[in-house]
Amino acid sequence: MENVLKINSLSKRFGRIQAVDKLDLEVTQGQVFGILGPNGSGKTTTLGMILEVVAPNGGTFQWFNNVKAVEARKNIGSILETPSFYPYLTAVQNLRIAAHIKQCGTDRIETVLKLVGLFERKDDKFKTYSLGMKQRLSIASALLSDPPVLILDEPTNGLDPQGIAEVRNLIKDIASQGKTIIMASHLLDEVQKVCTHFCVLRKGIKIHQGSVEDTLGEINRVEVASLDMDKLEKSLGSFPGLESVQKTGNSLFVALKPDFTSLEINDFCFKQGIVLKKLVTQTNSLEKEFLKILKEHD
Amino acid sequence: MIRALKLEWLKIRNYRLFWILIGMYLIAILVIASGGGLFLEWLKREGVNFNGIDPTIVPIYDFPDIWQNIAYLGSFNKILLAFIVIISVNNDVVYNTMRQNVIDGISKTEFLLSKMSFIVAMAVISTLFLFVAGLVNGSVYSHVWGAEYIFDKTEFLAAYFYDILVYCTLAFLLSLIIKKAGFVIIALFLYTIMFEPIATAIFQNAPYFKDGIMPGIVQYLPIKSLNSLIPFPFSRYVFMEIDDFVPLKAMISSTVWFAIYLFSIVFILNKRDLK
Repeated sequence: MENVLKINSLSKRFGRIQAVDKLDLEVTQGQVFGILGPNGSGKTTTLGMILEVVAPNGGTFQWFNNVKAVEARKNIGSILETPSFYPYLTAVQNLRIAAHIKQCGTDRIETVLKLVGLFERKDDKFKTYSLGMKQRLSIASALLSDPPVLILDEPTNGLDPQGIAEVRNLIKDIASQGKTIIMASHLLDEVQKVCTHFCVLRKGIKIHQGSVEDTLGEINRVEVASLDMDKLEKSLGSFPGLESVQKTGNSLFVALKPDFTSLEINDFCFKQGIVLKKLVTQTNSLEKEFLKILKEHD
Repeated sequence: MIRALKLEWLKIRNYRLFWILIGMYLIAILVIASGGGLFLEWLKREGVNFNGIDPTIVPIYDFPDIWQNIAYLGSFNKILLAFIVIISVNNDVVYNTMRQNVIDGISKTEFLLSKMSFIVAMAVISTLFLFVAGLVNGSVYSHVWGAEYIFDKTEFLAAYFYDILVYCTLAFLLSLIIKKAGFVIIALFLYTIMFEPIATAIFQNAPYFKDGIMPGIVQYLPIKSLNSLIPFPFSRYVFMEIDDFVPLKAMISSTVWFAIYLFSIVFILNKRDLK
């Protein structure tokens, strides 16, 4: 896999506070990489450093196997915290400036404005926009050059529920085109829904890194129980979708093979003459894992 | 360079205040370049005469003296151009767009380059405007004509250009340091027309200071250095004193200040985190 970003022992100190402490990170092409952490854990500072607006106190980073950082940024669409545009200019005029800097031509301006639902307001001044519309404009600006890499810092900040759903779908859509996305968020639900990989920062230190799939790997588990537990356990031995089974208390926890769901178990048991009194699909949430990880490092 | 200038142009061309200030500046230059004759008429009506000489025959529009005359008077308007620079830099600071520009893909050096090319462009345009205004007025009023007179002493136009360039770079630096545009404008205005001139006058004339080293030092202050580029021209009509050259000393001290401003800007841009 092509290396997109490689961070080596990157550090930043603000006065007494060590905002980022010897951070190592690697992002390869096609990953949707979530940077998680509580408020003040160094997420935005890290993104600021790799975008060269915050000067690191130590360490290095490399874009696209050593492309010059300023050139690399032209191929990265970024949202960093609050939307920053010229309030006295319209959406189109603001995007022209971004296009000029990115040297990408202005022909995609209308496309991206339509994509984020701002086309109707394209000739209104930025200062007349609501917070949600401003956030949408920064997403439009990030997508302007159709970049292979996106950096999104709290991309759904300030959006209404509909906007959040739209942006989430947009991100999934972009990710499905094979683009790389680096996303900082404290909304774990969001990360779980769109990310493939993630790391957890706490007080500037990386305390966990892995793929979302591995961390939430045992997601395909079903908890079952019936009146005759012995018969149930015996019968399940011949269930084709069985990966493993484990008895805990009055329930059996069944790990299923891919493509099997609670529906097949229910159907199978029914045919075996067993009536289930309990059938619960287990879901691991990233939130649970996240809190667990934070607790382990307390 | 063109790319850097175009970036600034995209930012400023739809900004109304910019056009108002530029308009005021150009009108002020026109008034200064063309108003001298009216001013002398007024003096005559008021009954003023220079040792029995009718004021209206004072040859202020004669080539090549006209260049020094209008460059001297015009240079006071540079403060309007400095206001434009202050507002333009301040916008990028308070709207956080300097950071956004960097994130989108320019280096801080390119940011500096775009602001400096904008300053150079303004200085070039106002120098050209002054040149045309001088040419028009000279062709109407000058008693002499011919290329050897017209293009003589045009180094004052170059001094005018340099004056604007250095002064606007100072404005650039100040608006990076102080984030309140209004405050920078007032501070720069007062410093230019009051604080430094008054301090200079005190050190040069007050009994305690005037025999010390202070009078020597104050000539090298930022505004004094720039103002000395174009010496006061009108004494030649009254006292027959002639200071019709751009003093080398002023050139050197202005250039030293210019270098200090630029280095400070580079230092601040590289040092500061854009949060």
